Amino acid sequence: MKYTPKEIPEEINVTPVHPLVNFAHLLATVAIATVAIYAGLGFVAVGLVSHLSPETEQKIGQVLLPAAAPPPLILEDDRTQYLEQLLISLQPSTLQFRPPLTIHLVDEPAVNAAILPGGHVLIMTGLLEAVESENELAFVLAHELGHFEARDPLRAMGRSLVFLALASALGLGSSSSNGSSALITLTGNLNELHYSRKQESAADQYALSLIVQKYQHGGHSLDFFKRLQEQETALGFPVHQPELLSTHPLTQNRIDNLTQLARQQGWSLEGEATPLPEGLACPNFEECDF
Amino acid sequence: MELLVFLTLLTLGYFVGLHLERRHFEDIKRREHKTLFVPIANFGAKQPLPTAQTAQLFMGSVVVSTDYFKSFTASLRNLVGGRIVVYESLLDRGRREALLRMKEQAIAAGATQIVNVRLETSNIGSQTANNGMVAIEVIAYGTGIR
Repeated sequence: MKYTPKEIPEEINVTPVHPLVNFAHLLATVAIATVAIYAGLGFVAVGLVSHLSPETEQKIGQVLLPAAAPPPLILEDDRTQYLEQLLISLQPSTLQFRPPLTIHLVDEPAVNAAILPGGHVLIMTGLLEAVESENELAFVLAHELGHFEARDPLRAMGRSLVFLALASALGLGSSSSNGSSALITLTGNLNELHYSRKQESAADQYALSLIVQKYQHGGHSLDFFKRLQEQETALGFPVHQPELLSTHPLTQNRIDNLTQLARQQGWSLEGEATPLPEGLACPNFEECDF
Repeated sequence: MELLVFLTLLTLGYFVGLHLERRHFEDIKRREHKTLFVPIANFGAKQPLPTAQTAQLFMGSVVVSTDYFKSFTASLRNLVGGRIVVYESLLDRGRREALLRMKEQAIAAGATQIVNVRLETSNIGSQTANNGMVAIEVIAYGTGIR
């Protein structure tokens, strides 16, 4: 038999697909699947959370509190009572089937407040130094009440718990060097931020309605944000910082949304400011250097 | 920061990997064309073997590795299943290169035909493939006759 050399045909063993097309396809599939799973988990978490009894919620809070509020917790301080009274005066009667609210003062210069499951409200002392009227402080407390009402801290916890469980079942959670786990975490995080911004806006709106109920006007309650906005501009924050990448809506957007809401509801944003008690920035309202 | 490093590695892996792969394929095609005149044939146990004056074993072996882009794409594919297209070209390169190395040696030794060629592969690198490199060795061996 005579041998006649033939050219070797190409692309029998290599699929003629451009690697980037293939890559984009895969990336889209995984991203969409992650978003879908995440949204599904959101529903499951919300469903579970709304059936949680106050006792269970309290237990969860007790477990979480030591981890979330590190040592500089101020235990004995008269300011706690003042803050608790202010919080209770804001609280609507619909909240009676929830665990009681507790104020915890945290010795931290950060201007911030937070809420944990079980009604634990954390107030950083930096916030007490930064507020200039009771209306501002009340707005921040009412904002945290808004999260409490909507069970946001529980929801966030439920979702991330289910998500973590799923990720570790897939074997993705443990190895941080794995590229695909990084992708899933990123998609998950962006999703979380979206949920977070929606919750923040809702809490803002709830807060303003409580403020108007208490003071009959929303005047001075937004001054805090306005000062924050001025600080951000002065510090050279980019004006068009991507909202997609932050947990809270942009400060300007928050002010705009609340002003618009007040106009729609016919709430007045003008009114007298209620002064803060003397020495709020100092332990036990005593004289100090601030 | 972590994301930046990851994206840099991915881009680097893609462009460098693609460039090297193209160059390799061109080289393979050129050499295949050049060595086409020597037939490769396999014979079964009950077939008569061609008569030859001399016979000698020739072996070609090559180790090929993935790039970051290929590994990442494959790890995504791992989640959904299906053809790992990026590795197909890698393995194709490995097989053809190993065959060529064997054939070129045989031609240099004056072989007119290569019979009963076998291909074998072995994994190099960790089995978990998480941190370690993913590389494969392809060995081709056959009898060159004259």
